[in-house]
Amino acid sequence: MKRVITGDHAVAIGAKLCRVEVVPAYPITPQTLIIEHIAEFINDGEMDAKFMTMESEHSVMSAAAGASAAGARTFTATASQGLAYMHEMVYATAPLRLPVVMANVNRSLSTPPGIWIEYNDSMGERDSGWLQVYVEDNQEALDMIIQSYRIAEDKRVLLPIMPCLDGFVLSHTVEPVEVPDSSEVDSFLPPYEPDVFLDPENPALMGMLMPPQYFMEMRRQTDKAVESAKEVTGEVNREFAKVFGRDYGGLVDTYMMEDAEIALITIGTVTSTARKVVDDMRRAGKKVGIVKLRFFRPFPADELRSALSGMGAVGVVDRSISYNGGGPVFGEVRSALYGMTMPVINHLAGIGGRDVTEKLIATMFELTLKAANGESVKPVIWHETRGESL
Amino acid sequence: MAAQTLAEAAVIEGNYSVAFPFFGAERRGAPVLAFTRIDSGKIYSKTQVYYPDCVVVLDDSLLDTIDVVSGLKPEGFVVINSKDVPEDIDLGMEVQTGAVDATSVALEILKAPITNTAILGAFAKVTGIVSIGSIEEAIKRRFGEKLGEKIGERNALAARTAYGRVVSGKSMGVKRLEVKKQWLPRYQEIPVGGALVKGKTSAGLIGPGSFIENKVSGWATFRPVRDREKCTMCLLCWLYCPEGTIIRISDKGDLMTNYDYCKGCGICANECPVDAIKMVRARV
Repeated sequence: MKRVITGDHAVAIGAKLCRVEVVPAYPITPQTLIIEHIAEFINDGEMDAKFMTMESEHSVMSAAAGASAAGARTFTATASQGLAYMHEMVYATAPLRLPVVMANVNRSLSTPPGIWIEYNDSMGERDSGWLQVYVEDNQEALDMIIQSYRIAEDKRVLLPIMPCLDGFVLSHTVEPVEVPDSSEVDSFLPPYEPDVFLDPENPALMGMLMPPQYFMEMRRQTDKAVESAKEVTGEVNREFAKVFGRDYGGLVDTYMMEDAEIALITIGTVTSTARKVVDDMRRAGKKVGIVKLRFFRPFPADELRSALSGMGAVGVVDRSISYNGGGPVFGEVRSALYGMTMPVINHLAGIGGRDVTEKLIATMFELTLKAANGESVKPVIWHETRGESL
Repeated sequence: MAAQTLAEAAVIEGNYSVAFPFFGAERRGAPVLAFTRIDSGKIYSKTQVYYPDCVVVLDDSLLDTIDVVSGLKPEGFVVINSKDVPEDIDLGMEVQTGAVDATSVALEILKAPITNTAILGAFAKVTGIVSIGSIEEAIKRRFGEKLGEKIGERNALAARTAYGRVVSGKSMGVKRLEVKKQWLPRYQEIPVGGALVKGKTSAGLIGPGSFIENKVSGWATFRPVRDREKCTMCLLCWLYCPEGTIIRISDKGDLMTNYDYCKGCGICANECPVDAIKMVRARV
């Protein structure tokens, strides 16, 4: 059924369709609509789940880990300071291999205080062991909740996952979304059945102290699980496409890359706007394309290398800054492309909610083209930042 | 504290020294390791000591479970807290050994079974690496600073007393200790997320209940003895025992202590409101 809904509403419907059993929650803009919708679903009898209003996000993630350890399909949502506040428990959840799904509605992490989009909240959790996927529209937001549970609960993975959507640009924006049939989701996503869970009849030890003679092996086990998620992500994408007719490409998606001479690596909603810019530039005879980075963890290094091979230059859009190091995506991409010789340019834009316009994206393409033509271009460019020159 | 104090004594004599502990899971009474290196010049190595010149054993019950002389050089020394003379102590290696009943020294002088200062006196006598004067000075500095001059001096006296009582000789080298095998799985073999259900490995039980294999009665210097006449069955001891060693025998309305797992911490005696529990020396 086609509905015209916000990104937050789409995420909430996704959680409902997944027959989530436990939802510990704490409100924070721009995520609050998600848990409000879920609370309504439960109140109206549309959803059979335990809704737990917690006293803080730290408690939210503690409860989520506990519920998941007890074998319940668990969902929550957060943003910005909320994610930072649960940081400790975010790190606890992944090595315990608890497949919690938590939507993060990207919002800048204070200071300066702001409520608008920046990726420094979720990207700060890069090393936690959580998988991260970034979406470009409300349909993808809903679909990735469903795919997230399939990926997270796969026995080869068993890791928590954070589907991330741009604050306000998606969370509070309505657009048409095809809502899948509940029965189709049911057959795509069977109930979660863990091998080991907290059960008084069959006691288990979880989260024990690990002395040095076990610690490296434990870390390697989690590292291996994140690595395994690459294959599983591709499988789940293909199966989802078969059942629901929407193919997102897996770890990365590409647009007009077949004969492209340069590429822009985009993430989140910038991808959507950039698709239109590519169409315009193509009409003007400029062979430009997009590689949409969907998953930040696992990081698709091999996929990027193969998608970008032969490019004259690569531009990387970042919507947050790792102070004095360019954007976090830039650092990862440049590392993945080690040994390849094309210039890699970092485009910092839209940080803290500043609008990323078609004109701005066109400028990114033009500068990347310049670099491909051997002209001198700054490696890290602060776009539309007063006091900075291009 | 003994390792650190030894390091301080070495520094007093113009040497360079490094001392550091290694703790396992932090539990009262659990075995711990501590290391001291002494050299005339700066010590750069930041790793544990695998081939020591001297091994100090503060609790001879460890001889039943741990190969304490592992890696010890043949020309090295052992300093051990024991009532026995070296010739009666089987270390699985014949080696120059100094034995002293540091527990009794500590109980006499410090009124507590804290043996780490006394043993340093024995160390000075047996090895000659540092003088007893420097040990006493180091003890006064480190213990005096934290606990006051008087306690510093009493601990120095404990060291001096052990220095006088230590018996030197050669240990026995008969037994071949079967050290309990550790479970060291490859990362693929560790259960997902480290979640352990009750199970068996080549090295014994793992998971819930597996600690029943680890009897820890040897850790105790004292053990609790309950006076049934005084006991009012208020069950505070049962509530406070950190190891759950006090068992209710419900049909008799009585209690018993499982000494296999009692570490002699004394919390039960401390909490008993009618002084029905006394702590007595566990091994004499």
